[in-house]
Amino acid sequence: MINSHDPRMNRLGLPDAPEAPAAKGALDQFGTYEVFHQKKEGAPFVYVGPVHAPEADVAFLFAKEQYSRRFACTGMWVVPTAAITVTAYVGDQESAYDTLPLLPKSSAPAAGLADDTAAAEAAYAAGEEDYDIFHLKKRGKAHQHVGKVRASSPADALQVAKGVFGELRPVANVWAVRAADFLRSEDEDRDIWTTTPEKKYRDAISYKVQDRIEKFKAENPQSH
Amino acid sequence: MYGSASTHDLPTSAATGLENEDPILLAEFEARIGRGEKIEPGDWMPALYRKQLTRMIEQHAHSEIIGSLPEGTWITRAPGFRRKMAQMAKVQDEVGHAQLLYSAAETLGKTREQMLIDLINGKSKYSNVFNYPTPTWADSNVISWLIDAGAIVNQLANAKGSYGPYCRALDRICAEEAFHLKYGHDAVVHMATGTPIQRKMMQEALNRWWPAIMTFFGPSDKMSVHTEILMRWKVKMASNDECRNQFLDMYVPKIWEIGLTLPDANLRKNEETGVWEFTEPDWEDFKRVINGDGPCNAERIAVRRAAEENGAWVRRALLTPKTQYVRPLA
Repeated sequence: MINSHDPRMNRLGLPDAPEAPAAKGALDQFGTYEVFHQKKEGAPFVYVGPVHAPEADVAFLFAKEQYSRRFACTGMWVVPTAAITVTAYVGDQESAYDTLPLLPKSSAPAAGLADDTAAAEAAYAAGEEDYDIFHLKKRGKAHQHVGKVRASSPADALQVAKGVFGELRPVANVWAVRAADFLRSEDEDRDIWTTTPEKKYRDAISYKVQDRIEKFKAENPQSH
Repeated sequence: MYGSASTHDLPTSAATGLENEDPILLAEFEARIGRGEKIEPGDWMPALYRKQLTRMIEQHAHSEIIGSLPEGTWITRAPGFRRKMAQMAKVQDEVGHAQLLYSAAETLGKTREQMLIDLINGKSKYSNVFNYPTPTWADSNVISWLIDAGAIVNQLANAKGSYGPYCRALDRICAEEAFHLKYGHDAVVHMATGTPIQRKMMQEALNRWWPAIMTFFGPSDKMSVHTEILMRWKVKMASNDECRNQFLDMYVPKIWEIGLTLPDANLRKNEETGVWEFTEPDWEDFKRVINGDGPCNAERIAVRRAAEENGAWVRRALLTPKTQYVRPLA
C-alpha cells in the first residue's frame, strides 16, 4: 500500500502496483463551451477561454469558478463551442472580412443592425435572428464583442457584419454566434460577482515582508 | 508552477521531419513568427511544432495538477485559519492553471481524455520536483516560494512564445503567480526570522529541497538541431542554463539576507562573468527519479488516479450522450 505523509492518502488504501488504468470513453470530460466576460459595467464582453461541461448551466458554474474567481467581472456569457462560426485567420495588418466569398451586389444582404423597428419585426417574422459578432484585433489577444446583427444564417451574419463593422481594421479573425445560443448572466443576479474583492488573503499586496526583513537584518548584523 | 520537464526529452533522433513539410507553407509560417505574429489553432503548422508544443503544454498542465498535491497535503494542517485559507486558494489556483493549460493543449488536437490517461499510466511526464515529499510545513513553504519563483522565470519567458492559446493561458497564470510568490516569501520569512526551532525547521527544509531546485530547469541544453529550430519557432524561449542563472541571481541573495544558508559550498556568483557557479547537480539521480524511481512517484500517480476513478460515476451521471465533441477554439 502507498505510504504517505498525509494520513488522508493512507486512508484511501491505494495499491503500490495497480493494474493499467482503463481507457476513458468518449466525452468522459464532456463537450466544450466558450466563455466571455465583462470587466466592468458598459465594457464590451471579451473572450476568456473554454470550459468542459455537460450542459450550459454547469458550464456557467464552471466558468464563474474558473474565470471570475480571481478576476472581478460584472457579467459572463457561455456558449457551446460548436455554435460559433469562425472565419479564416489573417495577418495582424489585414481584415478577415476580405476572405469572405464576394456576393453579387443584388444578393448582398440588407444591412441588418439588430433593432426593434417595424422593418426588423417583419424580418424576425420571416425567420431572421440576432447574431453576436466578435473581432480578434491582433493574434494572441482575445476576441471582443463589437455588436449584434440580424441575419438568416451564420454565413449571412458574417456578410452583414462585414457591411456594418468591416471598416474596423485590422481584424485578424471574426466569430459569429446566434444570440439565442448564449447563456447570459442576468442583471438582477449581479450580486454573484461581488465576493471576489473581499478575499484579501489571496492578493499579493496583502503580504508585506520587507519590514520584517529589515528588522531582522538590523537585529542580526552578522547573519547575512 | 512548472518545471522544464518538457525540455529534457526532446526527440533524440536528428530527424526533424521538416523535409516532408510543404516548403511554401513552412516559409509563410516562419515569416509570420519572424514578424512577431502569433500562431492560432486554425493555422497551418509543421508537425514538429504541433508535437513539441502539445508535449510541452500537456506536461505543464500535469505539473500544475500534480504540483498541487504536496502543498494540498498541508491545507488542513497549516498553522492558523488565515494560512489555511491562503494555502487552499493557492492550491485552487494551481488546479485552475491545469484546466487552462489542458484546454490550450487541446486546441492542438490531443483530447483531454487522452492527456489524463497518459498522466496516470505514466506515459506523460510532469515536473520532477513533485516526486519529492513535503514532510513539514516548512517544506510546503519552500515550494510556495522557490518552486513558484522558478516557475515564474519559465512562464514569463514562455508567455512571449509564438502560440496564441498558450500565451493567453500564461498571461492569466502569471497574474495569479504574483500572489503565490509573495505568499511563499512571507511564509519563509516568518519561519526564518522566528524562534530558533522555526529557523532550524526552515533551514532543514531548504537543505532537503535545494538539490531538487537546482535540477528544476533541467540539464544544460545541448544545442541540437531541434533546440535551434524550436528557438527559431519561439517554442523554447530561453535555454535551461539561462533560466537557472536568472533564478539564482534573483533568489539566492533573498535567501541569504534572512540568515539562511544553502548546502553548496561552491555556490557563488562570478562577478566578472555575471554567471553563477555551483556544484553540478546529480543528473543520474534526476534521471532515475523522473523515470519513476523517486520517493513519491507512485503516490502522486495513485492519488491522481484515485481522484479520476472516484469521480467517474459523477461524470457518467452528468453525461449528455448526444453532445458532439468540438475542440476549444482558442
